[in-house]
Amino acid sequence: MLALGAWASQFPGFSRWVYACEHLSPGPAEIRPAEYSPRFFSPAEYTTLERLTDLIIPSDGTPGAREAGVAEFVDFMASADSSIQYRFRYGLSWLEAHAQSLYGRRFMDLAADEQSGLLEHLAYKDHFRPGEEDGRAFFELIRDYTVMGFYTSRIGMEQLDYPGLKLYSESPGCPHKNDPEHKHLLSVNS
Amino acid sequence: MAEKTYDVIVVGTGAGGGMAVKTLCEAGLKVCALSAGRRLDPAKDFRNHRQPFDMKYRGFGDPKTRAQSYGYMDNEYTAGIWEHEITYTTAPGTEWMWPRCWAVGGKTNFWGRSSARFGEIDFRAASRDGFDTDWPVGYEEMAPYYSRAERMIGVASTVQNRPSNPDGDYLPPMNFRCLDYILKSGCDKLGVPYLPDRIAQLTQEHAGHPACHFCGNCTEGCDTGSFFSTPWFFLPLAEKTGNLELVQNALAREVLVDENGRAKGVAYVDRATRAEREVYGRAVVMAASTVETAHIMLNSKSRFWPTGIANSCGQLGRNLCDHLYGTSAYGYLPQLLGQPSFPDNVSSSTVAWMPRWQNLESPHQEKFIRGYSVYPYGGTEELPWYYKRLEGFGSKFKRDIKRYYPTPVSFTVQAPTLRSDTNYVDIDPEAKDIYGRPAVRIHFQWDTNVLEMWEHSKQACADVLKAAGGERWGVADAPEIPGYSLHETGTCRMGNDSKRFVTNRFGQCHDVSNLYVADASVFLNCTDKTTTISILAFSLRASEHLIETLRGG
Repeated sequence: MLALGAWASQFPGFSRWVYACEHLSPGPAEIRPAEYSPRFFSPAEYTTLERLTDLIIPSDGTPGAREAGVAEFVDFMASADSSIQYRFRYGLSWLEAHAQSLYGRRFMDLAADEQSGLLEHLAYKDHFRPGEEDGRAFFELIRDYTVMGFYTSRIGMEQLDYPGLKLYSESPGCPHKNDPEHKHLLSVNS
Repeated sequence: MAEKTYDVIVVGTGAGGGMAVKTLCEAGLKVCALSAGRRLDPAKDFRNHRQPFDMKYRGFGDPKTRAQSYGYMDNEYTAGIWEHEITYTTAPGTEWMWPRCWAVGGKTNFWGRSSARFGEIDFRAASRDGFDTDWPVGYEEMAPYYSRAERMIGVASTVQNRPSNPDGDYLPPMNFRCLDYILKSGCDKLGVPYLPDRIAQLTQEHAGHPACHFCGNCTEGCDTGSFFSTPWFFLPLAEKTGNLELVQNALAREVLVDENGRAKGVAYVDRATRAEREVYGRAVVMAASTVETAHIMLNSKSRFWPTGIANSCGQLGRNLCDHLYGTSAYGYLPQLLGQPSFPDNVSSSTVAWMPRWQNLESPHQEKFIRGYSVYPYGGTEELPWYYKRLEGFGSKFKRDIKRYYPTPVSFTVQAPTLRSDTNYVDIDPEAKDIYGRPAVRIHFQWDTNVLEMWEHSKQACADVLKAAGGERWGVADAPEIPGYSLHETGTCRMGNDSKRFVTNRFGQCHDVSNLYVADASVFLNCTDKTTTISILAFSLRASEHLIETLRGG
């Protein structure tokens, strides 16, 4: 995560978001067997993990983290990266303990609005509470990996209508040249 | 092994070596070119048309090796191509990232393609501001070589009449995108230039090479050869002459000398078999890249050259310069919020640039001497990295990510260091690489002049973003570490005085007249421009000088 953190906190111009590794033969990365056996997380951890990714990028009329198999991506990356394993495992146990202390129930047994409510204190500066620093760090971690997993999946890239890797006969140019400052779009967008 | 003697041994097949090989072969000379790596197969080795979800780690790379990456081009898509086997060391206090592509064609396989000529303001910088020494050549002398190099490789741009940036022979420019028009409107208000970059990307078919298809992943290699690289453009021409023997996986150890101390060939190790080999030639051209050329020459010790070949002046390996790179500002353009996604990154690099605008009228207008350039980036990227700037989670978060997708922009500064006695390479007295070659050791630190430029660029880019109606999110905490730009220069600087310079004005070694240097090692400094087009122009000139030298006796 250090690499991503460094990258994301200061978008480095020329840089893309990719790093060295051994290439294996390509193949669809989104095969989702009916029953997924996590590589790293325990079944209970995995269920919570999947729910968290779903809360972060929900299926709300358009596909979300669940459809894109983001939890599987996170499990795969955690299994491959010992530097993040403890942080995920500790974070999930923090969340369990926190749900118990606030509600006396397991996180997965909370109602949806209770789950969201708990996360809001970890996600929004205005809602931060003292003593929840570890939870906030975990939320940032899981949010990072959810974004990474979702927007590198075919489903996620289609959501953004990623325009790259297509073929053009000339370099695509601006369609609003009569308004170089593009001020007319400000009213359209607001 | 029969002792065949070639006319010329060329070490390296990147921009400098590739140009030398082509020029020498076409002149009828028998050339043996050594490449420290293998020949790439575009169909297999260039994964530029892969989507992230085609990659095992989605393009983030194997976590186990990710930390060893040498920068942005050395990634999951180019795995196995960038050099990781050969080690180097850094002096205490030095950080240096040394991205090396030693495959045939070198870094031209993946380069950023920005191709501005050096100008008289660069060649005569010392006369203007009193620092260091002028180049031993002027722009007028170099201009024809630039023109010829540009015609060979195809550079897209416009005539711009900028005092620091001589114009050349250009293909039609890349089209400006929405973000370019918006940023330009900000620049116009401030008197900062915002222009089409000079980019070696074929906006139309050129010299038998197909036009670019604008897929946008150039720095992962081009499968159609629609931007210049020596394997696509030069080596086939050289091979057609029948005069080229290209040896792959040949890691040069040293330049061999005869009984008079002149170059007689090159010793290398075959990395595939570990066999030790020698090749012989009437002349040797070094073009292994700035640090490696000096490394090999420093390791070429003999009774004639106890501190390295052609080093009687003691300047071999000295005067290392580099570009400081850093994100001077990043933010977003509210005008583009919620706009449909647009193919903004069709060059994965530089559509536009902000060429040097500082110290043009007089050399001491700013707190620093010389000047820097800026490359603007932005628009839709593969990954919505700006999510870090958006708070929260859930449906609104998801909508915000889409809404901001076309809006991000950033500015990368390209600022040159000045020549300094503290910046150089030498041979590590203890470390050796796995082939037993004494390792190169790098000594480098940013100078105060370049750090002044960095500070200046942060304010300038913040001003531009504001004037364009944009919102600034922030600035990089620090510049990238030295070496990141891949634009190092200066270890075999050229000059007329044999007591102060390794090479003469043609790149010919003062001490050893049949040894030439044809890469950025000969540059006096790195200027505010990128190096490749100048390496090509200087290598062309050096190669033709060598041809004359060999013909003359």
